Amino acid sequence: MVTVKINGKEITVEDNTLILDAARHAGYEIPTFCYQADLVGIGSCRMCLVEIEGQRKLQPSCVTPVLHGMAINTETPTVMSARASMLEFLLANHALDCPVCDKGGECELQDMVYKYGPHKGRHAEPKFKFQEKDYALSPVIIKNSNRCVQCLKCVRVCREVVGANVLGALGRGDHQEETSFFRHFLDCDQDGNCIEVCPVGCFMRLPYRYKTRPWDLKGADTICQWCATGCRMVIEERDGVLIRSKAQFGVGLNSETLCARGRFGNDSMTRAERLKTPLVRRFGKLEPASWQEALAVIKDNVPSDGERIGGIASPRLTNEELYLFQKLFRNVFGSANIDSSARWDPDAVEAFIKAASMDAGGVSVFDCMESETVIVIGSQVSDENPVTDYIIRRISAGRRMNLVIASPRAMKLDSSANLKIRHTAGKAGALLESVILSFNSARVAGTGGLEDMASGRLASVTSEAGVDGEAVESLARKLKSSGSVAIMAGTDFLRFPEGIAKLGLLKDLLKSSGKKVSVLPLLDRANQRGAWEMGVHPSLGPAYARAKQKGLGTDEMLEAVSKGALDFLYIAGSDVASMYPDEGVATAALGRARFLVVQDTFMTDTAKFAHVVLPGAAFGEKEGTFTNQEGRAQAIRRLMHPPGKAKPDLDIIRAIGERFDPSFGPKNFVLALDEIRSGNRMYSNVSLAFNNKKNSDNRLDSKEALVQGAGASDLEAKEFAQKPSAESAEYPFRLITGNHLFHSGKGTMRSETLSGLLKAAVVEISEEDAASLGLKNGDRVRVKSKDYAAVVTLRTARGSKNAHAFLAENFEDCPVNRFLRRGEGPPMVSITRA
Amino acid sequence: MLSEEAKKEIEKALRKYPNKRSAVMDALRSAQKARGGHLEKADMDEIAVILEMQSVEVNAAAAFYTMYNIDKPVGRHHIQVCRNISCSLLGAEHLIKHMERTLNIKTGETTPDKRITLSTVECLGSCGTAPMMQINDDFHENLTEAKVDEILKGLK
Ligand code: SF4
Ligand code: SF4
Ligand code: FES
Ligand code: FES
Repeated sequence: MVTVKINGKEITVEDNTLILDAARHAGYEIPTFCYQADLVGIGSCRMCLVEIEGQRKLQPSCVTPVLHGMAINTETPTVMSARASMLEFLLANHALDCPVCDKGGECELQDMVYKYGPHKGRHAEPKFKFQEKDYALSPVIIKNSNRCVQCLKCVRVCREVVGANVLGALGRGDHQEETSFFRHFLDCDQDGNCIEVCPVGCFMRLPYRYKTRPWDLKGADTICQWCATGCRMVIEERDGVLIRSKAQFGVGLNSETLCARGRFGNDSMTRAERLKTPLVRRFGKLEPASWQEALAVIKDNVPSDGERIGGIASPRLTNEELYLFQKLFRNVFGSANIDSSARWDPDAVEAFIKAASMDAGGVSVFDCMESETVIVIGSQVSDENPVTDYIIRRISAGRRMNLVIASPRAMKLDSSANLKIRHTAGKAGALLESVILSFNSARVAGTGGLEDMASGRLASVTSEAGVDGEAVESLARKLKSSGSVAIMAGTDFLRFPEGIAKLGLLKDLLKSSGKKVSVLPLLDRANQRGAWEMGVHPSLGPAYARAKQKGLGTDEMLEAVSKGALDFLYIAGSDVASMYPDEGVATAALGRARFLVVQDTFMTDTAKFAHVVLPGAAFGEKEGTFTNQEGRAQAIRRLMHPPGKAKPDLDIIRAIGERFDPSFGPKNFVLALDEIRSGNRMYSNVSLAFNNKKNSDNRLDSKEALVQGAGASDLEAKEFAQKPSAESAEYPFRLITGNHLFHSGKGTMRSETLSGLLKAAVVEISEEDAASLGLKNGDRVRVKSKDYAAVVTLRTARGSKNAHAFLAENFEDCPVNRFLRRGEGPPMVSITRA
Repeated sequence: MLSEEAKKEIEKALRKYPNKRSAVMDALRSAQKARGGHLEKADMDEIAVILEMQSVEVNAAAAFYTMYNIDKPVGRHHIQVCRNISCSLLGAEHLIKHMERTLNIKTGETTPDKRITLSTVECLGSCGTAPMMQINDDFHENLTEAKVDEILKGLK
């Protein structure tokens, strides 16, 4: 600790604290342009100059650490005049076109000149201009370099945080322009973080252009709806139309960053095609109806035998809604048949929860990043959880640690890894087993028969995983020499559950070797963890407690519907027809459903089969909590009212419940949360206050939001076997599926901006494979399996595993679930020029 | 396309550094030489692939230094006159005007026979021998009008 005097006030701070931070602690604001807590300091803009007694020249406080006994002055006339002079220089060439600048009203340059002067310029020379007209840098970025203050935050965020590194500072001095290579249209992550960090109107949002002034917007501070990273954001509307979503500096685990989906995808909320009234099927046609009618029809059709009732709720509903959904089924309908996913097998989910120790409570990603070795496996984290990717990149760059990435596909985060392993898709289990055997090899050394057996097994699983022994050994060595290990395990474990057992085994092995081990699940739906913890699972109730009765999961429910063993299916927010991994099975079952209730915001493929359609609310139209992948329970806030007669999902579920039992439901989400808190010990400490807290000291980790452990658990981990993919020369590629960077599930396809970025499906293969097929990036190709074929655009990726092809899960023109067959490994496909 | 020779030079430069990107200055110089005095977009793209960088990073390195001429073809002899403080105090502005007159071009231009390009640069670190200029790779120091005339005559 060091003690310094700031403007005469004594303050004690940690060693190496920057003068800037120390001053802010002491309550003095110092203006900055180029400083940003999560970027490497460059000290270039000189706005933050301060006086240090005994030093002749002013010093940049954003890169100068405090030293014991320093006396610092931040508000003397010299400092004030330095600020004014810096601003005068910035204005020398500045366009000063505030009346037509989108940044007007929230511009840092405006604010600073207003505050620190000079209010009169002395430069008589003609202003230098980079360009006459603003130019688009991408479908979401529009650029006016004449307003630049050269803080380089755009370039730095793109390189250091996003990792795309497609912007450069070209030229020097006042002629330096931050832009793309030859001002080309950017083929980048399109996350707009460059826009967000820009203090002036230089990088601007194209979709927001000339739409409004910031003071005419009404905002709500909420949590992103797209993946389970759980980014904090403010969504803003004007006249009932969602205009923009933005992050806030120093707030939430994401601070000022978001991904393309988070920043640009929420326009899907205010689309004309939203469902606005309940629909009831009459004589084969869905027709508008009143809520009274719709609810009455539902009541009449609910069978008295709970076993003939089933429910599927989306992992994008709030905790309160999900809790109420399972309460409706378990307590009112007497049915145990509920599930929260159209994609995963509930037994696999249970095994995964156990392997990842999710029942032990929340695990912070920032804590994980303090481990000596971090392994990312089974996840396309750069695409699926982009902001988690940013956090890993940023923190791993700043410390000595091992970052190991195991994935068949190359990903952006590879550049931060010191070990990349490209295993065969669906073979994470074999890979982990080989690591375990290699880790344990010393134990069996010299035992003769046992050693031979182990090394024979090691050779066979290594080759099954499709990796070389060296990579496995290297990972085992890293694990041995690390005192702490974090494993970030993604949804591929749920797609191919036979790897889960090995994940659990590795965790236990590392623990028993005395290491500190944390497992962080990387999930792709905003409230997937919440759905499980609320008990929307056929065998697990709230807090992962074993349910009294084991019910049917999605698979079995669809099968039961097909066979006529289940009469009533209630699907809330889930598009089973298009997300279930085997389209044929799903649509056949839905077509045969005796009574299907679908609650959603749009007329989905699933809703088309329904007998009653209930219009629900989008995430900005209701309140509640989401639990992110780490187990942070965070509040979402209402910005608008649902359109027409649509209602918040909580009200709908309660209204159904009340038809059967007038005392059924908590009246609002706060009361629902109270009920959760009192019955679910993981949530007993959850409080709505977390959301409104601004993180202090740039610490983005608000640990009090993490859910507690569930206590003793009796989770079971079944062993899974999968039919091996039928390899053949005719179909040489193993097909991997998952989310695209711009899309997750069907929801993002309804966003105008996101579908403008990418509307149609692309298939990705390695550069080498493309070259040997004589194909190149952008070619149209036919992807064909034994069951289905589609023509899509080819993308090549450097460094992906050969003989693997990746298709994103959500495109209408190429529904991947037509390639998939239930219970089978990754399907095999061929790729040929179309 | 980079010439074979430029590629060989870059290969050689790579051996001097612990990591590839450190060779960017050498690579740019080789590429510029191969093209006869300037750089084009394709050169930077190619260098980026060899050095495993982004094209825009190569571009940023090149754009920072006046010794690289991006998209600006130069004559056989590229005269860069220093006009920073020491040289200016000792008459650089006068020498520049003199050369403009003698060559009948303005600063930034090339003679029609592509013999000479005249440009100005900031301090070249030779203030002790100001005023000075650089022609291709050579410094010419302690200049006077007469000395400049002599030098210009020698440029074929
Ligand atoms: S949108 Fe993101 S990836 Fe693209 S230039 Fe901006 S910061 Fe870089
Ligand atoms: S990373 Fe996930 S939570 Fe964050 S903005 Fe993107 S989709 Fe939303
Ligand atoms: S904020 Fe300190 S120099 Fe820019
Ligand atoms: S000012 Fe001309 S060389 Fe330094």
